[in-house]
Amino acid sequence: MGIFIQLLINGLIAGAIYALVSSGFSLIYSTCKFVHFAHGSAIAFSAYMLFFLFAGWGLNFWIAAVLAIMLGSLLGIAMNTFIYRALRKRKASNIILLIASFGLLILIESLILIFFGADVKTIGFIKVEKGIDFLGAVITPLQIYIIIISLVLLVGLFFLMKKTKIGKAMRAVSDNKDVAEIVGISSEKIYNWSFGIGSAIAGIAGILVALEQNLEPTMGTGLVIKGFTAAIIGGIGSVPGSILGAFLLGLCENFGIWYLPSGYKDAIAFILLFIFLLFRPNGILGKKKEGDRK
Amino acid sequence: MIEAYLIHILILIAIYAIVAIALQLCLGFSGLLNLGHIAFFGIGAYTSALLLLLGVPFIFCFLVAGLMAMVFGFILAIPTHKLKGDYLALATMGFSFVVYAVLLNWTELTRGPLGIPGIPKPNLFGFSFSDNFSFLILAVVIALGSYFIINRIVKSGFGKVLEGIRDDELATRVLGKNSFKMKSIALGVSAFFAGIAGSLYASYITFIDPSSFTIMQLIPVLLIVIVGGLASLPGTIIATFVLMALPEALRFVGFPSSIVGPMRQILYAVILLLILIYKPKGFFGRVEME
Repeated sequence: MGIFIQLLINGLIAGAIYALVSSGFSLIYSTCKFVHFAHGSAIAFSAYMLFFLFAGWGLNFWIAAVLAIMLGSLLGIAMNTFIYRALRKRKASNIILLIASFGLLILIESLILIFFGADVKTIGFIKVEKGIDFLGAVITPLQIYIIIISLVLLVGLFFLMKKTKIGKAMRAVSDNKDVAEIVGISSEKIYNWSFGIGSAIAGIAGILVALEQNLEPTMGTGLVIKGFTAAIIGGIGSVPGSILGAFLLGLCENFGIWYLPSGYKDAIAFILLFIFLLFRPNGILGKKKEGDRK
Repeated sequence: MIEAYLIHILILIAIYAIVAIALQLCLGFSGLLNLGHIAFFGIGAYTSALLLLLGVPFIFCFLVAGLMAMVFGFILAIPTHKLKGDYLALATMGFSFVVYAVLLNWTELTRGPLGIPGIPKPNLFGFSFSDNFSFLILAVVIALGSYFIINRIVKSGFGKVLEGIRDDELATRVLGKNSFKMKSIALGVSAFFAGIAGSLYASYITFIDPSSFTIMQLIPVLLIVIVGGLASLPGTIIATFVLMALPEALRFVGFPSSIVGPMRQILYAVILLLILIYKPKGFFGRVEME
């Protein structure tokens, strides 16, 4: 029983982090209609900025965290403005945008590697605390915060999409870009908003991972792969679906290592991805749209 | 000294040229963005290395490496043949991650992250290619052979059907062509050449580990194909020379060796972005990616 609860908790924590990554990824996919791999670089960038501002410059932690998230968000907007917009202008296909996002991911990861070095770094803001015993399983206070923070953010994102003007505009562009433009919504502006909001959420995920584990230049790649797997499982382009997919993925991975060697954790994600691509490419909640799979 | 260095670069160019023209067959001629290509390279390298260490003759290892990769190519074609565009890219990328995870975790066979050291140099009909110059000749001969075969394939009627599938799959099927079979063969043949290149690579470097076969290692190959231009074999060869030689300049500028690796990646990433924005067809390309 203890193991079951422990794996359940581990799965939920992993799921909470994945959900932050995949919801931003899905948000960008739903409006811009391409796979933005470089989403992972916003994660790593925010985490390293926090390290730089807090551990390097000695800024107050909370100020450093807010600045780091803002910088991550700006990075997303910059990628959209300088690279993707130029590509869209010449009507590049979504495959070209995907390859470009790969290039961006490698570019930013390598820059981090040059400036900060390849060695693993820690933020060291939170002292190592003894975990709380919970039904025979152990959970640290930070992990509880991770689950709470991500749930609050996800609910916030949900309301943003449903209730605010910008959220409605995003959904309009996602639904039909041309019609949205006819009624006076600037799609370019909406793309920037999606990148800004999505990357900010990714930045928060990066900071939470940095606090719970540590920093590596490649941290973003690993997470964005999980994020897009979750997004596809849940239905790419559907933000609630991607959150569902994220928790499903987190739980599958953690329960999977009950039977398999833990090294296969990543393989579980891809086997899941494969199964969904084969049998249900639109995911759990994804709507089937004409021309989606062309 | 400089001569030995030059030979080393030329051998790598020959090996990468094989991988790149194999990807060209898939991506340029058949329109399949196969991000799992590097997995075939890895499968070939591991198959060949493990057989060589068992004392199997090189020619046999070399061919089995290609065939093994080809079998995996056919296997990959079955689930992915209906997918297109970014879905195909994601599924094939997923394949490369699964292969990487297996190479890393099946420690009884692959020794996992420790890698396989001491892979013997090729030995053909009693002649050992142990020095780099003779290896270069072997690699160039194999690269030329691969070029010749793939060139024949794309110029044949089969190649035209592949281009038809790339440009309009539905129309090709209306004309009575079995697109699933055609695409499977294209993927299988492409995997075969990636596999034999992997075999050469393993025997040349004499050490392989799973990290040589990640998606990050695919970027230079993908870049070569895009810079050379889709559906252009001579363009691919020229791009291989330029893009393999270019990062070597970083070494001579005097960057410390810890920086050279990431600088190389930055250089590739910047070239990739510039070419996608300003010259999407590459330098000799006939079609644009869709």
